[in-house]
Amino acid sequence: MNLKSIALRAATASAAMLLAATAFAVEPVKVGVGIAQTGMFAPAAIPALNAYKMWADDLNASGGLDVAGTKRPVKLIVYDDQSDFTKDAAIYEKLITDDKVDLLLSPYATPAHFAIVGVLERYKFPMMGSTAASVQLKAVKPGNIWFPTSALPDVMGPELVKLMKAQNIKTVAISTLQSPFAQEVEKYLKMALKDSGIKLLSSVEYAPDIRDMTSIVSKMKSEQPDATFSLSFPGDSVLFMKAAREQGLSAPFQFVLVGPSAAFFSKIFGKNLDGIVTMGHWSPYQTKWPKAMPFFEEYSKRYNETPDYLDVALAYMSCEITQAAVAKVGLDHDKLRKEISSATFDTIDGPVKFDGVSNASTPTMFLQNQEGKPQIIWPASDATSTFQKKGPWAN
Amino acid sequence: MDQLASTQLLLSALVLASIYALVALGLNLIYGTMRLLNVAHGELMMLGGYTSFWAFELLGVGTLWSMFGAIALTAALGALCYVTVFRYVVRNRELAARLESNSLLIFFGFSIIIQNGLSIAFSADQRSYTYLNGIFALGDARVELNRLAVLGVGAAATAACVLFFRFSRLGLATRALIQQRDAASLVGINADRIQLLVFCVGFGMAGLAGSLVSMTETVTPFGGFPYTISAFIVIILGGLGNLTGGILGAVLLATIEIYGVALTSSAYRSILVYGVFIAILFLRPQGLLGRKMR
Repeated sequence: MNLKSIALRAATASAAMLLAATAFAVEPVKVGVGIAQTGMFAPAAIPALNAYKMWADDLNASGGLDVAGTKRPVKLIVYDDQSDFTKDAAIYEKLITDDKVDLLLSPYATPAHFAIVGVLERYKFPMMGSTAASVQLKAVKPGNIWFPTSALPDVMGPELVKLMKAQNIKTVAISTLQSPFAQEVEKYLKMALKDSGIKLLSSVEYAPDIRDMTSIVSKMKSEQPDATFSLSFPGDSVLFMKAAREQGLSAPFQFVLVGPSAAFFSKIFGKNLDGIVTMGHWSPYQTKWPKAMPFFEEYSKRYNETPDYLDVALAYMSCEITQAAVAKVGLDHDKLRKEISSATFDTIDGPVKFDGVSNASTPTMFLQNQEGKPQIIWPASDATSTFQKKGPWAN
Repeated sequence: MDQLASTQLLLSALVLASIYALVALGLNLIYGTMRLLNVAHGELMMLGGYTSFWAFELLGVGTLWSMFGAIALTAALGALCYVTVFRYVVRNRELAARLESNSLLIFFGFSIIIQNGLSIAFSADQRSYTYLNGIFALGDARVELNRLAVLGVGAAATAACVLFFRFSRLGLATRALIQQRDAASLVGINADRIQLLVFCVGFGMAGLAGSLVSMTETVTPFGGFPYTISAFIVIILGGLGNLTGGILGAVLLATIEIYGVALTSSAYRSILVYGVFIAILFLRPQGLLGRKMR
């Protein structure tokens, strides 16, 4: 080995070490999130957290997050808000000031989103919302938070009435969980029913600690409505559907607000879930959205269960929008704010563009389970199938 | 009004009552014998629920078999809990002086540990499985077979426990301990042995209740708390430490929940439940079958 060769090898080794050191020195992009990992909302929140983790892992596997042209690894910093929304403001403040995160992902559920709006405003920290749906969102001034959902009660009410009129529904019975979101849907549905030609036969509310819904379903059944609405959350949705099956509730249009799009529901009800209409604006079977099915397949494979068609889809969309904005303008908060407010983003739910804080491009949709698959049945422009009357319950 | 006479409502009320009675039984036993407030009772139920869920998912074993596993697991946990913690607490004069409040804190700690342990081990996902879900028609009523199983097993287990504590030697000794703790010791009743038995039976009944409920509801690490609350209402309604009173309290609570709602509106359920609860506390502070404190 001559001197020249030794020098060449030394130079190569030095260059390699330098490159490695540079790569090692690339600071990870710290992404903070506070979400319910324990407590009563954990079962619903964890699938959303799963979507965040899948997004971060996929990015890291593909070289990292593109920050205005430079790929950097992503480091998720996750805190448990213990399903206590009063903790979220402190958690997000800690993420911003103590952990000094570069980006934020949202907590679970509307109250948690509202709890941190003040913190985001104080630090002028832009963040994509996800699993929040309330008419009150519109009262949030455009600034540092955006909501990708299109399942807002004031739009859902009139759209549900349009869907029912298209199916020639004449009579309706409603049962509503005493919770802010369900009661908002109830309020706007009742408003839309006025002067619609559809008669409201009955409307009852019940407290969250209900253990048996036999009496409610029994009353509904005795009224023989064309459409029944169970404005419920997963726990009571199970109770409602079990009672409906036992008593053979035979309304051709049966709507259950939250639950039917979650994986465990099809496990409990199997074929009996067919015909149930629910809220949601995403389906992997919509071929207009090429990213939808790959996301569905990856999530299903990774977590051994299908993603919730609402919460998980929204959580992942919030990651996609954040990722696209960072790729374009980097981590500067002012630039991010402008980018999110003005650009159109390609997501698993199709293109998303914001008007103020709201998603202006995704219409309010409804899903119906058909042969084990949740299909979009409304509006016609985005439908993957047409409405089918609820058939008899299987024994 | 026709609705009130329906077999459907009667069956629902009986199913709910049998679950409440079973859940309250374990809580009542432990409070009655040792004055311990087991606020982790609902979490023990969830432990039983997970036992049946995993037995079904992994081994294909139905709940009517796995419930014995749930009882064994939670009873063993009861024994461990008594031997390692409460035996010492009861014997320590200083700690025993504040037994009720101390037990509240200790069991609260247990509930957090069980919740988070289950959450770490199995995630917080809602777990469910389909077992005995065929529909059984009884006159004009239709009911899922798993709810009938809840009714049958729940009622049988409750009756067996009550009969055991009423007629067996060990049961009589337990009742003696409930009624006159000091006098029971004086006549040679082995309080330590009885307390161990009570912990095993109390925890085991919670496990059994959770196993049964897992057939009809989803199981999550955090799903037990509402049952703890219901169980406390039941045992206070019936009379703290009175097992027969607990059954009466369970029937009363279930009747209010099912028939009260049918008669008025579901919106009034909580008002009715807590209204009757407060009324009974005013009229009979010792509960329906409880004895007046002297």
